[in-house]
Amino acid sequence: MCTEMKVSWLLTLSILAATASTSVQADATVEYLRDVKPLLRERCYTCHGALKQKKSLRLDTVAAMLKGGSDGPAIRPGAPSQSLIIKRVTATNLDERMPPEHEGEPFTAAQVKLLSDWIAAGALAPADEKGEADPKDHWAFRQCVRPPAPLVANSNWVKNPIDAFIAQRHTEQGLTPQPEAPREILLRRLYLDLVGLPPSAGEIVAAKQNRSSRWYEETVQRLLDDPRHGERWARHWMDIWRYSDWWGLGDQLRNSQKHIWHWRDWIIQSLNADTPYDEMVRLMLAADELHPNDLDKLRATGFLARNYFLFNRNQWLEETVEHVSKGLLGLTMNCAKCHDHKYDPIRQTDFYQMRAFFEPYHVRLDLAPGEPDLTVDAIPCVFDGQIETPTYRFIRGQESQPDKSATITPGVPEMFAFGDLTIKRVPLPVEAYQPERRAWVFDAYTTAARKWLDEANAGIRNSKRALAAALRQEADLLAPIESDTAPTAAGSSPSRTLTLEQAKIAVEEGRGALRVAESALAAAKAHFVSVERRAQAMQARWLGTDEDPASMATQPEKAVAAVKAEREALAAKARLTLIEAEHRLAKAANDKKNSVQREVEHAREALEKAVKLAESSIKPEDEFTQLRGAQWTPTRFLNSTADDPMVKFPAESSGRRKALAEWITDGRHPLTARVAVNHIWTRHFGTPLVSTPFDFGRKGAMPAHPELIDWLAAELMENGWSMKHLHRLIVTSASYRMSSSLADARMPHERTDSRTNIVKDPENRYLWRRNPIRLEAEVVRDSILALAGTLDLTIGGPAVPAANQENSKRRSLYFFHSNNDRNLFLTTFDGAGVKECYRREQSIVPQQALALSNSKLVLDSAKTIAMRLAQGSSDVSGQSGVDDENFIRRAMLSTLGIVAADSEVAACRKALEHWQKEPETSGKPDSARAHLIWALLNHNDFVTLR
Amino acid sequence: MIDCQHPNCRSINRRAFLADLGMGFTGLALGAMLHRDALSHTTEWASPNGLPHFTPKAKSVIWLFMNGGVSHMESFDPKPMLTKYGGKTIAETPFADAQDPKKLAIERLIVPDANGNQRNTLYPLQIGFKKHGQSGIEVSDWFSHIARNVDRLAVVRSMWTTDSNHGAQTQFHSGRNMLDGEFPTLGAWVHYGLGSLNDNLPQFISIGTREYWNNKDGFYLGPAHDAVPLRIDPKSPLDFGQPERSFSAAAQTVGRDLVRELNELRGVEYPDDPTFAARVASYELAFRMQQSVPEVLDYSKESEQTKALYGLDLPHCREFGSQLLAARRLVERGVRFVQIQHGGGGAGAWDAHSGLKANHSNLALAVDQPIGALLEDLGQRGLLDETLVVFATEFGRTPGSQGSDGRDHHIFGFTVWMAGGGLKGGVVHGATDEIGFHAVENRHYVTDIHATILHQLGLDSRKLEVPGRKRLEIDHGKPIWEIVA
Repeated sequence: MCTEMKVSWLLTLSILAATASTSVQADATVEYLRDVKPLLRERCYTCHGALKQKKSLRLDTVAAMLKGGSDGPAIRPGAPSQSLIIKRVTATNLDERMPPEHEGEPFTAAQVKLLSDWIAAGALAPADEKGEADPKDHWAFRQCVRPPAPLVANSNWVKNPIDAFIAQRHTEQGLTPQPEAPREILLRRLYLDLVGLPPSAGEIVAAKQNRSSRWYEETVQRLLDDPRHGERWARHWMDIWRYSDWWGLGDQLRNSQKHIWHWRDWIIQSLNADTPYDEMVRLMLAADELHPNDLDKLRATGFLARNYFLFNRNQWLEETVEHVSKGLLGLTMNCAKCHDHKYDPIRQTDFYQMRAFFEPYHVRLDLAPGEPDLTVDAIPCVFDGQIETPTYRFIRGQESQPDKSATITPGVPEMFAFGDLTIKRVPLPVEAYQPERRAWVFDAYTTAARKWLDEANAGIRNSKRALAAALRQEADLLAPIESDTAPTAAGSSPSRTLTLEQAKIAVEEGRGALRVAESALAAAKAHFVSVERRAQAMQARWLGTDEDPASMATQPEKAVAAVKAEREALAAKARLTLIEAEHRLAKAANDKKNSVQREVEHAREALEKAVKLAESSIKPEDEFTQLRGAQWTPTRFLNSTADDPMVKFPAESSGRRKALAEWITDGRHPLTARVAVNHIWTRHFGTPLVSTPFDFGRKGAMPAHPELIDWLAAELMENGWSMKHLHRLIVTSASYRMSSSLADARMPHERTDSRTNIVKDPENRYLWRRNPIRLEAEVVRDSILALAGTLDLTIGGPAVPAANQENSKRRSLYFFHSNNDRNLFLTTFDGAGVKECYRREQSIVPQQALALSNSKLVLDSAKTIAMRLAQGSSDVSGQSGVDDENFIRRAMLSTLGIVAADSEVAACRKALEHWQKEPETSGKPDSARAHLIWALLNHNDFVTLR
Repeated sequence: MIDCQHPNCRSINRRAFLADLGMGFTGLALGAMLHRDALSHTTEWASPNGLPHFTPKAKSVIWLFMNGGVSHMESFDPKPMLTKYGGKTIAETPFADAQDPKKLAIERLIVPDANGNQRNTLYPLQIGFKKHGQSGIEVSDWFSHIARNVDRLAVVRSMWTTDSNHGAQTQFHSGRNMLDGEFPTLGAWVHYGLGSLNDNLPQFISIGTREYWNNKDGFYLGPAHDAVPLRIDPKSPLDFGQPERSFSAAAQTVGRDLVRELNELRGVEYPDDPTFAARVASYELAFRMQQSVPEVLDYSKESEQTKALYGLDLPHCREFGSQLLAARRLVERGVRFVQIQHGGGGAGAWDAHSGLKANHSNLALAVDQPIGALLEDLGQRGLLDETLVVFATEFGRTPGSQGSDGRDHHIFGFTVWMAGGGLKGGVVHGATDEIGFHAVENRHYVTDIHATILHQLGLDSRKLEVPGRKRLEIDHGKPIWEIVA
């Protein structure tokens, strides 16, 4: 194929060369297009082209250069030294030089010469030279209008409008689509794509026997309704939205948030419920302003909480702007941090206007029902903590150089503005800024206190029982001794003495333990009272401040009671600590006594202090510790080694993020839906429509099917932003169902010439076949466990920590995953990077082969899979086991989605025979079969979605 | 086929080429390539073909990185003025202008903590130093084995960087401050740019503990360009390097043959599929690696003399010595880039905030003899001419004392040396001021080291640039021509 290309390319070159030598004029034109124009485009168009026309000057056509700007014509044909452009690019005075300082390097001597030579030769223009298109007309910046589905010749092939757009390009390019893939491959494709797990052997057999004409559509619906679908697609969106578990140094949180998995669970649940895309975006950006008291929805703001960075506010907010823009809008706003965007209509100010939406926000942990300890569980979410903090533009992006002459207000780039952006402050319900008022908060504290009380009571019972047993034992030993073992002068039997000794120790221990249990009960009781009194005092205060004047009277009394109860509880706890220490001292080995003795002394001092405090009189200004309903996640922006001063929860929110969310999800926004459908398409087809999913701007890749994107975007929006609707549409299209094979078609009447297709479109840009996809890391691991039948299908919950991962059977998306902690097996298969992952890598490296041949996961699972397949029920002969041939066929179908050819069966049989002769497996057919499964898991098609 | 110039043909062609010959790279980041191809429609761009851009002087690099920050004054840039003015504040000495805030402005702080601060009271040198070799370069007495080889070294005493915390480790490898994001490291660029010299070994290998920076190199070049971590343990040198359950070699071979045969049978349906061919090739490479890597670490054929040279018989040298012997054996077999990190724990063992004397003398004891041995061994075998050895660290340490007996992080001036690979030996380039505070003569940012290495390998970093990933002038750096032979 390439030989042909080479010929045509050489031909073109020789034609160009021939043309060039015929006349000076042609030579100059060629040089302009080849050398001069690209130079000007690279160095000058940003300010003197369609994007901007500084000094009213454009340099994107020769005509425009001749016309010039407010300083006159840019060029004088034949006279380079008198041409303004040459004067400017060679100026030594920095005030005059172009490009200006900080906007670009000066032209090199060679570049100046190129430009001069061209002007000297007459600055001839090519015929019909067109200037740069207006950025407003850039395909992705125009408002999205649904184009009609084209009428195409190959209408038999078309299953829905998606195919019409694809077929249109096929016709234009002279391409023939590959036929539909065989049913077993389609089934594997649907399962892995929609739920991320392979079909079971039984499901494959059932599908192959299904006579219904709607088997495919029914399968699609069933899989979309399957709760595993939410898990599969959540991982995709977690890539795009930058999910990361918390990370830091040791226990110190530096990035993201503890318990951030609540956001992951929200994504899974929302996808399973088919929550509209626009609603999900609104909640992620502003649930705290839209639903300030709805914990379920607040989980969505993990999207922003994830950007938390302990040390540097600037880096935090820059990342937020960058990825809100890239992930939701396909705009590289980060390019405008230091200067105006070089390609898109985004001014430097726009970057800071975008930042201003986020300037007030901070992160906090809200108490989750049932758990008062925020280190155990809580909901990470965001709130506007610093509404008045001004945003400044940083000169050349330098944090150290804020331009304080003007405060930047929130806003959007002019080209993408429609109507007025209304930002209104949002008054918050009192439970949002005093979260301790939420109904479940006191419940959580009281329940925990009661639980401690119950445990303490049980502790007493247990200690009493243990003591009684020890006493009985002692009594038995002290009972009158039988005459025949009467003590002699030489002393009693040594074993019996020892036992009595032990029994006495046990009694002592039992007494000590009971003392501990009794003081634990006292502490638990005091704690319970303290919680109750504090809750009552806080309630009285709210009523007092709210509307009930009567409660004002009781308020101070209750506060005093709360302070008192809390102090008593502290004393009880201090007493418990002391008694525990004393108990340890009694048991301690001699060499440890000293250090335990010190603990006892410390505890005693602490107790004395606590008792003194509890006995002292209570002053009006004495405060009790509030039962808190949320806690601000502290920052250290101030370059000190302590936390910054606490940010309080204000009674209102700025309303900025709500306004931003409304702008982004407005149906008139040209980018949001287009970007979303591209993300979705990418995961179904393995390749995106726009190959730069984070950049839909003028520098981004031009899609081969822009009309299809528009149609899909309109379809998404007009169907209530339902993602399941879009999934259904895409996977039922003929385009999705094509074979990925490059060989001749298997059905003679539909024979296609893929050689021709390959020559015409080697990269499959126009989708004449299905692109094979290297399975994502999570799917590789999950599939192995699913085939073995050992996958734990529990949905949601805290991330599986690194130490437990090796033996865990949970789905891979639940593995703790951060910049610091990544699972080795998943990393080997290109698991998501947590900082940016708009497309997964599909690398092919030998370490993957090593992981599949040598990991415990694979070697253990191979055995289990072999046993499962051997026990399969669908054996025609009705035998309990299956013979080798059936085993081979079934194994290839289950693991690879392949109907084995006879040659493949023969190859497998030969290997099985070899293995059965091996000393380590001989006489153990199961082991030989496990080896076969191992080999199939190492087959190319196991990690490939055909 | 390789010559095909059509832009649409180029990438697929190249991939097929690499897969067919099983050479070039340890792997292919297909996603990354497709992505770049999409960007390249409008530009004149080709992914590298694995050949140098001009005649190389060196073919391999051994990159020795001391985690935590080595004191330049107590290693390769001795400053007697510290001893003379020890105990005085800098303000009280004739060198007070070192603390001119303007000169300190290059710092870009990321992680503020108790470290990375100005230390005002000069701390005397904790070790003596002597002139060595014909060149008479001064080296501290902690590094006598390296000093014996001083005429092989090009010592650059005028390095500077910007991150005053250990993110400078990342910065030294990628050339970028962590605030800027994540960028490929030097090893990844070399791996990306140069083809393989050995089909049985990964071409970019990392040994030892990577501390502050995370375990990646490729970033936007793709994970195929991450270093392959290697342990000096013949039984388990690679992750998943040996079966984690008993599995006889004979049974594995039968399986491997079966996989090959099944792939070939199924491959009929996918003629010309470059990913298919690449995967089959990667399986073959994995199998070969599984055998060839333990062979590299089998030192039984090394002479007793060689083993003693690296200090394998000395408890304090054994670990690092066997890593360096592995490095020699790897480059001998054609591996391009061997990256060895020394000193685990905290943010790197050399991070002597207190007890500098004990810290540095112990660590020097562990690395000095093996490094001296490496230089001599490479030299004897004629390998030093084509192997570039680099001794680097993320920053120096403060001339002033931290606490009573430590030194803090210091970004304004520190030392790196290189040897072999077509560089001059026995030269000192650049200088810090008299108290080792600022690099004052021929100042070099970390990427100048990268540029020098790439130049010796015959690579032009501008030709490796990827569309859509604009690099700045400072990212490319400038070769230090004065030390090129």
